[in-house]
Amino acid sequence: MVQINFAQKTVNAKVVYYGPGMSGKTTNLEVVHQKAPNENRGNLTSISTDGDRTLFFDYMPLDLGTVAGMRTCFQLYTVPGQVYYNSTRKLVLQGVDGVIFVADSSPGSMEGNLESLRNLEENLNEYGKSLATTAFVIQYNKRDIPGALSVAELDAALNPHKVPTFEAVAATGQGVFPTLKALASVVLKNLMAEAAQSQQVSAALPAQRALPVAAAAPVPVGAAAAQPPMRATVVPPPGNPTPNTVAPVAPAYPAASPTAAGRPGLGQTNFHQRPGTKPGGFSPGVAPAARPAPVPQPSRPRAAAPAVKAPVKSGNGRMVTIVGAALVLGAGAIFALLKFL
Amino acid sequence: MESKDKLPKTDVQAALPRAGQERDEDLRQRRLVFYEHDVAQLDAELDAYLELSSARCALLIDREGHLVTRRGEPVSSSVESISALVAGSFAATKEMARLLGENEFTIMFHQGARDSIQLQLVGERALLATVFDQRTNLGMVRFYAQEAGRKLAAIMADVTSRKDKGPELGGDFGESAQAALDKLF
Repeated sequence: MVQINFAQKTVNAKVVYYGPGMSGKTTNLEVVHQKAPNENRGNLTSISTDGDRTLFFDYMPLDLGTVAGMRTCFQLYTVPGQVYYNSTRKLVLQGVDGVIFVADSSPGSMEGNLESLRNLEENLNEYGKSLATTAFVIQYNKRDIPGALSVAELDAALNPHKVPTFEAVAATGQGVFPTLKALASVVLKNLMAEAAQSQQVSAALPAQRALPVAAAAPVPVGAAAAQPPMRATVVPPPGNPTPNTVAPVAPAYPAASPTAAGRPGLGQTNFHQRPGTKPGGFSPGVAPAARPAPVPQPSRPRAAAPAVKAPVKSGNGRMVTIVGAALVLGAGAIFALLKFL
Repeated sequence: MESKDKLPKTDVQAALPRAGQERDEDLRQRRLVFYEHDVAQLDAELDAYLELSSARCALLIDREGHLVTRRGEPVSSSVESISALVAGSFAATKEMARLLGENEFTIMFHQGARDSIQLQLVGERALLATVFDQRTNLGMVRFYAQEAGRKLAAIMADVTSRKDKGPELGGDFGESAQAALDKLF
């Protein structure tokens, strides 16, 4: 679901790369991360297994820049393609605005593509959406594989909705950007259509209350610059033996073949980030507002705390009362018992 | 005489819970639009909460992983990555809760050597992530977060449910966005 924040001057949309295991979803994202201009890309974050298979998702924000006064950002996610991880795949689809289905053109992979497409439709249905109503494009990846399935064959099986399709060799970067551009375009068109619809509905409703938005809209963005900018985590250079980092190099195409030889299955979970840009470049932090920067004093002021802490004290008082009452009752009971005996 | 609760449900009675569910679903599906005064209210609540709890930083994130607002000290990494991970983490926890027969877990806590983070559900559509260090403790954060969560949830409910929308994106947004796409790719 696109989030529009007029206070922070941001528009955020969520795009998900979907498809069967080893079809090249993560490779697509890696190529976007490598080739997008520094000022447009954020960090690439991956939650993957030891063998570099996506476990939960890969994530990267792609900043389109300031559009009509609003910083427009696409949050790009991939899902784990393996059938086993359907629950996590479904979670990543929550609030999705557009889906890129990365199909594998390799011979013998049609069944996997179909299964994944069915699964995508089912998971979208669970969120009250469907492929027919969601921004959706298809990428036929691995077009350079010998004996690749023909585009006509893939189209007939995978594209009943007649959405835009793109041929790609993600490992070399071919077709990656056209696919993303096409989807981004559809997402933005849908957003504008929704906005127009919303305006019509608003106009039809009686003006129940006047929102002070007209005065609020022109926010001076410069006011945000007072706070120090966010710092992107810098990952050690390629070759670093730390298991939680991966060199930002596109995997060689043979390694991405469906044999999975270079990408074993379950193993140790990795969380790694690849740097997005030079420090001070694309800083995805929101415009911080008036809260003062941390004051260099030994302890934070807690003057306001006592008033709210009162309930804690009264809680202690109640506890003392209860314990006292229990002691009195206990003593009385013992006394009565002794008297009875 | 047949008791009242044994009377057969009319179509209207049967439809009421369904209508309620549909309304909830409708609210969940609605696009979130925040205006200046919404964020000002949220910021004021977060500032008060940070002051009382002595936490370092508070992030309000929608359940799709988009940051709504952030207050307090800057965090040392990409706040958008943190937002995405918080939302993913919470979504995974919800699935875990479902498997255990719970609707969802409303609070999560991760303890670190220096910094810790508490994640808390705020109404239907948002999450509050609080980063804190040794200047305070989990009890203080949890105590004040409960009250702050209620207030933030009330503001978020207004944002989600209002029908009289303010200004939407300008008409030139679509064209400008397309031009930006052409330039980027």
